[in-house]
Amino acid sequence: MSLRVVFVTGANGGLGQAIAQAFLAESPDNFIWLAVHSRRERADEMTRKNPDRCRCVPLDVVSRESWQKAVGEILGVHARLDVLVNNAGIHEDALLGTMPVVAWDRVLATNLDSVFHGCQAVLPAMISQHSGRIVNIASLSALLAPAGQTNYAAAKAGVLAFTQSLAKEVARIGITVNAVCPGYIETEALARMDENERKTMQTRVPMRRLGRPEEVAAAVRFLACLEAGYITGSMLKVDGGIL
Amino acid sequence: MNSTATLAQDIKQMMVENLMLQITADEIGDEQALFGPGSLGLDSVDALQLVVALDKKYGLKIPDPDTARQVLQSVKTMTDSVAAHLNPSFSQPNHN
Repeated sequence: MSLRVVFVTGANGGLGQAIAQAFLAESPDNFIWLAVHSRRERADEMTRKNPDRCRCVPLDVVSRESWQKAVGEILGVHARLDVLVNNAGIHEDALLGTMPVVAWDRVLATNLDSVFHGCQAVLPAMISQHSGRIVNIASLSALLAPAGQTNYAAAKAGVLAFTQSLAKEVARIGITVNAVCPGYIETEALARMDENERKTMQTRVPMRRLGRPEEVAAAVRFLACLEAGYITGSMLKVDGGIL
Repeated sequence: MNSTATLAQDIKQMMVENLMLQITADEIGDEQALFGPGSLGLDSVDALQLVVALDKKYGLKIPDPDTARQVLQSVKTMTDSVAAHLNPSFSQPNHN
């Protein structure tokens, strides 16, 4: 196997860390670029532990210029980019009647605009290579559309439609574009919930437990692997059977 | 072969390789339309690949759809644009 260059956004978070770790474990030939923004302590720790196999790169996912700079840095080092995982995301839940405009704007920009900017930034390299894997992290909210998440659900549903549309555009160039829809996963956001809320949430899951970030990362790694070359425009739920 | 003809041949070869055309470079006419009826039969995805390839091989940036429509009419229009970009006095393309 030869070098595979992987770029993971939101790499300081729990899910981003698990995704990066999954690619590190997959093959010694994988090199992981960890996109970091406001926080980077865990990403820095990962690069300290794996100095020859991963590196941090600053990225503001809502900025087109920042994407161009980050991808330019990666291509400057490796002259190729094989996998993009659009994982960075936020949510600012509120009922629509009281949702501040900034909560709409920020959530749409961070969850959906970022995917547009990211894919545009990496596509020229992937087109030149005639190969590439893009995995977008959507959410079960895109399908369940729960109350209080008009912004988040709309953004993630947009990510799913974007994924299917782009997949058709670039299929014959050898680039696949897929999405993963995590359900209730043990991440920082859920860790902040009180115990009763967590228990209520678990009762909604047929498996009666929350998902682990590693279980989402495994789905991402699968969609990005060479053997998944005929899978594109797909959405893979990792939700313990909720939907 | 003069420099214009060499460049045109180079671009045709680039098209065959990048677009995985089932014809040879010699079968592509200099002024044959790339898109539309009676053309080479390329589509918008091919156009996207040509934009990327022209940038990578020659450094020719095609920043918007209007420019793409002008440049990507035929091998001749691509050759003229690349030549003008590389050197107004016209020189051989940079093979790298």
